[in-house]
Amino acid sequence: MAYLATRNFLEDKDFVDKWLYTIRTGELDLSWMKSATEKVKPHEANPRRGLTYRDLDIGNYGFSALPEKVRENRSYAPRGAEIPAGVPDSQPWVSRKSELWAFNTESYYEEAVSRQWNATTDIPWDRLESAELPETIGKALSQLMTFLTEVEMIATDTPAMWLPRLNPDFIEVKAFIAAQAMDEARHTEVFRKRALTTGWGLMQASPMNEMALKHLRDADSFSEMSVALHLVAEGNVLTMFRFSEYLSPTDVDKKIFRLVMQDEARHVGYGMQHFKYVLEHFPEKREVLHAHLDEAENISFAGAAATELTESFIILAGGGLKRENIEEGIRITTIFNLKQMQEHFERLEKCGMPERKERSKLYMMYEMGKAAAEAAGIRV
Amino acid sequence: MAVSFPSVEYFEALREKMAAHQDKFQRLGFIDTTFGVSVANNGKSRSFILEFEVYELKSVREVPSVDPRQVDFVLVGDSRVWREMIENIRRNGEADTSHDINTLAHLGEQLKIVYDSPDGHDKLYRFMESIQEFFDLTSQVDVSFNQ
Repeated sequence: MAYLATRNFLEDKDFVDKWLYTIRTGELDLSWMKSATEKVKPHEANPRRGLTYRDLDIGNYGFSALPEKVRENRSYAPRGAEIPAGVPDSQPWVSRKSELWAFNTESYYEEAVSRQWNATTDIPWDRLESAELPETIGKALSQLMTFLTEVEMIATDTPAMWLPRLNPDFIEVKAFIAAQAMDEARHTEVFRKRALTTGWGLMQASPMNEMALKHLRDADSFSEMSVALHLVAEGNVLTMFRFSEYLSPTDVDKKIFRLVMQDEARHVGYGMQHFKYVLEHFPEKREVLHAHLDEAENISFAGAAATELTESFIILAGGGLKRENIEEGIRITTIFNLKQMQEHFERLEKCGMPERKERSKLYMMYEMGKAAAEAAGIRV
Repeated sequence: MAVSFPSVEYFEALREKMAAHQDKFQRLGFIDTTFGVSVANNGKSRSFILEFEVYELKSVREVPSVDPRQVDFVLVGDSRVWREMIENIRRNGEADTSHDINTLAHLGEQLKIVYDSPDGHDKLYRFMESIQEFFDLTSQVDVSFNQ
């Protein structure tokens, strides 16, 4: 037990006497009724939407009133509550707003809650009964699902492990991160279910992929985690989900990828808005973010080129293992790889980091890859 | 009576169907996006702006052209591609694996997604299933083609 109560209440005579006294006399303390807190009356801005976190952005309860550095609340007290003496120090790692805040955080959370889906009942699994895939396609699909299950498991762990480290005043961010962990758990579930329903079971774990995933999990700061996870990794995975939807051999797979891409795009949205927020409110962090990106881009470049992933994509995109299938598969997969990189730099530019292209080795790779593709007759 | 495509009436008909299937769209969740649809034919095009809010298509209007800076994204395609998609949905009750929006737009060879902001672009994917289900409602609408 790392934390012990400050007293042994079961053996504290004064405490026990007070408990018994209240039972005996019915005499109440009621001092909590005089809490020096703000009285407000929130209402729904749009009754169709319901009472949202944005509707609660009032006075001291609101997120707009949050200071850049939260010094007063280090306990588990809900934002806006009176904090009496004696609350424990929750020892948050992140108490600076620009370390984790994103424009529209509260809306991303409301959207996440509203757009939850169920991998057990929202996917028409019964339609797979009549979907017979050739062995090569079935195995390639299962390898893709194995890879994605591996990705989503770490994507569940990573945001979840940051939750207790965030100052409790950042309610909306904590709620969004909790919803993200749920999204990722559902992705793990749906990909595992689809891998097993191919009839080929799971295929092979990916060392290259796991190295990239460990980088996400072991980030030193929330911002570093967010840059690596939300912006770089999930940005790449979003493009990958769209590509996978495009390649999907059955309407069941299409549905799976359309649903997971919705969640992923929301996470990327949060990542972009956080990145923008940091650059605007904590400009001295720009160089640190470049350093995070150097590492995240290095690892994502390697992870995206993992043999297990690339080859399954080539087979799915080309439709098999014949020479003409492979040529077509390479054409389409190359377009996808380059699109992933292009969209990554588009996002960074829009977030306020246009200089990234000039500093990034990944951008050099993008240009080299594009030139090689064009030389091979692949129109990008 | 058949509604012609492309027209405001076509999107209004989908809006009515969307309202009639509120349970399905509420289950899918909030959809907050404004996007354009552009249908090209013989060098000319007709463009529409669709504004979705909460669970509904709040408004649709025809415009001379769509400025990508004013919307999240624009779905742009030749009338032949749109027609094929609509006929496919009417035939199958929903888009088949070759005719859903992401598949048609992914390589930019059939439909194109034009956008100014990547954040706006990503909204297509944040609300993908709702948008797909919206277009799939075409299966319940009698459509004629005037281009």
